[in-house]
Amino acid sequence: MENLSPEDVRRGVRRFWDIFSGKLTDKIEAMYSPTAIAFSGRAKRSEPAKLIAVRRSRRLQGSVSSSTVDEGSIDVQIVGANVAIAAYTYTYHTDRVRADGTKVQLETLFGRATQIFQRDDSGVLRIVHEHLSATANPEVEKATG
Amino acid sequence: MNISPDEIRAEVRKFWEFFSRKSKAQFAEMYLPSATVFAVDARRMELARLMLVRRERELFGPASSVNAKFGPIDVQLLGTDLAVASYPFHLSITRALPGGKSYQAEVPSGRATQVFQRNEKGVLRILHEHTSSAEPVTVKELPAR
Repeated sequence: MENLSPEDVRRGVRRFWDIFSGKLTDKIEAMYSPTAIAFSGRAKRSEPAKLIAVRRSRRLQGSVSSSTVDEGSIDVQIVGANVAIAAYTYTYHTDRVRADGTKVQLETLFGRATQIFQRDDSGVLRIVHEHLSATANPEVEKATG
Repeated sequence: MNISPDEIRAEVRKFWEFFSRKSKAQFAEMYLPSATVFAVDARRMELARLMLVRRERELFGPASSVNAKFGPIDVQLLGTDLAVASYPFHLSITRALPGGKSYQAEVPSGRATQVFQRNEKGVLRILHEHTSSAEPVTVKELPAR
């Protein structure tokens, strides 16, 4: 098996977002190793990635009308023959129509992602750890004293 | 020698101990020279050595303080010399800026991912770090002394 290259990992990241945004109909669960752990957007604790993937799949099967994602440049550190860390920023926008017909817009302007990929025994690259987060300017309370 | 989960948990405890005690040199030594970091409030990833310069200036002075508590640490072993620690934390910081102003920042629902790698001397170092907050960070300007 050839050593992992940064371009392999960037392809993995792009594939993840293509599935996430509904451009590809593959199952997002398949992107993760069975033992993967993830911090999703606003969760206070990490969870098994499979649980997060199932929730995402349900959302994807809902009536998303449009979804766009823009990954910034993807920094890749290869850390061994089969493991790599991808770290990058992203913006994400989706317009969704709920079952009751109400429209919802979701926007992540300052998304940050760390995804650790590992090639499994069959040579497939899977995410073993994921940390997605977003930053916002903190509200500063002025001193009154 | 293979990494054990307990070794990683001990490193995480050391990390927060050095941070809280403002042990500049020991804190800086926790990172590999090439390490990359997503800080809680940063929009972009940066080299750990730049983050260290900023933390030294803003957080390690006599008028600054750092108090941290962390929750259960999940450890994923990704090979003989690589492991990922993920855990929740609560951080309370008093930041004294060079201009004389001071701020109190609270990170109530912090989340950390730290990737550790054993270096050629057998010492565990942080290769990548992603910290974020599940709730907005609150910042309060403190009255001038």
